[in-house]
Amino acid sequence: MLSFYEVIDRTLTGPLISDQDYYLKIYVPELNNIIQKYKIKYNPDTPLPSDNELADTVFEAAVDFFSRVGAYCPDTSRRLQFTKEEILQAASEAPSESVFGEGLDRKIMRSRKPDEHTEPWYHCGGGIYTTSESIFMNQVEGLANIKKANSLSIPSSINLKGKDARVRSPQEILSTIKTVTMAREACRRAGRPGLPILNGISTATGPISMFAASHPNFGLRPSDGFLVDSLAELIVDFEALDKVAFYTSIGANIGSTSTPLFGGYNGGAEGNVIVTVVYNLLGILVFRGTYHYNAPLHTKLKVSSTRPLLWVIALANQALHRNAPYPTVNLPYLGGGAGTNFYYYEMAAYHTCVVTSGGNMLSGHPSTAVAPDSILPLDHVLNVEVAEAASKITRKEANLIVLKLLDKYEKQLKNPPEGLTYQECYDVVTGKLTNAGYARSIDRIREELRNIGLSVVKST
Amino acid sequence: MTEGEILEKLKEAVLNFDEELAEQTARGAIKKDIDPLKAVEQGLVKGLDIIGEKYENDIIFLPELMMAAKTFQSAMKILEPNILEKGQERVKKGIVVFGTVKGDIHKIGKDIVILLLQIAGYEVHDLGEDVDLFSFIENAKKVNTDAIGLSALLTSTLSGQKDVIDVLLQNGLRDKYIVMVGGGAVTPEWAETIGADLYAENAQIAVRKLTETMENKKK
Repeated sequence: MLSFYEVIDRTLTGPLISDQDYYLKIYVPELNNIIQKYKIKYNPDTPLPSDNELADTVFEAAVDFFSRVGAYCPDTSRRLQFTKEEILQAASEAPSESVFGEGLDRKIMRSRKPDEHTEPWYHCGGGIYTTSESIFMNQVEGLANIKKANSLSIPSSINLKGKDARVRSPQEILSTIKTVTMAREACRRAGRPGLPILNGISTATGPISMFAASHPNFGLRPSDGFLVDSLAELIVDFEALDKVAFYTSIGANIGSTSTPLFGGYNGGAEGNVIVTVVYNLLGILVFRGTYHYNAPLHTKLKVSSTRPLLWVIALANQALHRNAPYPTVNLPYLGGGAGTNFYYYEMAAYHTCVVTSGGNMLSGHPSTAVAPDSILPLDHVLNVEVAEAASKITRKEANLIVLKLLDKYEKQLKNPPEGLTYQECYDVVTGKLTNAGYARSIDRIREELRNIGLSVVKST
Repeated sequence: MTEGEILEKLKEAVLNFDEELAEQTARGAIKKDIDPLKAVEQGLVKGLDIIGEKYENDIIFLPELMMAAKTFQSAMKILEPNILEKGQERVKKGIVVFGTVKGDIHKIGKDIVILLLQIAGYEVHDLGEDVDLFSFIENAKKVNTDAIGLSALLTSTLSGQKDVIDVLLQNGLRDKYIVMVGGGAVTPEWAETIGADLYAENAQIAVRKLTETMENKKK
């Protein structure tokens, strides 16, 4: 694989181009050409496809597209270019297994194959929730108490002495350190001090606060995960490369991260499936990742659970895991608020697509109805149970289940229901579940999911 | 070609993102002495209206929006001097100064809102990303804007929206402009807290709400 020094060099020596020309003259026309050339066509009848040939074609198209457009560095206004051979070499050297955590919680995250019936990696905690400091510890402890959870995302707590930290301010550094320290302590309280945190720097927006909070005094370790993201679309800026430079130097796990935008430069499903795979390849080659964090998003609805995006996440995972075994976790942004049936249907559809396609689970994040304090640990237990059930079925069987789930929510995605907060369901002092109605609704959903073919088993 | 056919061709040129056809037909319209404002409003803009609907229904996406806007502009370069010659002026829906606030470098959401505003007939001044708060004020004064659009994706950059409103208040300019806020981290509660005039969940809603607010202001 190309050295990181060579990658940096390409940000300094690639062709000069404005960002507008990059997108309008290169990116968009080439993406259209590639879609035509490889005859990639979204099929709404199979939101979860099981056509291996199609998956391989998508991979080939992604390599071709990446070799034609490269990536864009806004700091130097240059296009980073890579040949097909360089991309394929990186793909062949992708880390198919990554080790996370310490002690009893030291585990291996793997790239799985489509239709493989092994259990996926269970990453709990959703995206980056904003959470009040007063309930932060209980929420994280609640997540760490999920026995099958292999790793955590922790919420963001940007409030410091009654004020919200501003971006790139000293308060951001202090609140980032505070967040990390509290999260590690919460894991310890749950009896799992070695449990890996894969978004340890949830409160950081830039490299300075990330590096500050990565100091060993505050409890993060190289065996946790550190996210390095590419801004949409295919932007590789110096801040991202700064993070790569630092985290590779301390031998830490890097989670290359991407949010391809449905409705943006990628257009619809066909463009997004290609670009989703490209981001993974970029993650291996440019961000030197040990795993990838996929989070495609609909620009208008702000969710990942639309029918075309289910097709995207399923097919992209199949394309990747059949051709470049790079472990992925896959975050669903969901319309329904925490604790709503709507959220559960969307979450089940997404995990079923991901897990049968070779991906690993990242528990669902309520997005459009997002409210602060909405981490409900029991929701995340159900996420794990659903992902486990999905690992026991094939893509073909799963497609029928996904169609039934889409029937339950698809038409209401523009107006999803609001959800519950932690305070409405748990005792804020003891962290104990107090809302019996909420607990019963989870039982009812388990039953409903079993009835449509997902063998959800209630955790002990 | 009849006037009706020329108007139809202008519409088609926008719908097919055909800049050459747009320019050719615009020249043809001038040659035939067709009212250039009519060529714009009943030809090009009709095409843009359909583009807007298609975008709303996920039939087309950002690249097509950009191409349609570019086709529109190609034809306008030819029609605009003719409009001025005739002493006419195309009625703008309004002027908007738009940017992503200080500390935030996210761009695509802002770009989509700007395109839809332009397609809807607004003159938009894109200040870019990570925009200094005084730059919003200076540009608002310079172009005599009707509205200021403030985008923020991150929770920790929301304060940048408040800063702009605060500086408007501080300078006695708050009532002069409609302040519109949006972006991933923005909620209706936040918009209310900082005293924004309108909050938009997405690009289409931004256009709709701004148009309603502008109309109400005129009454």
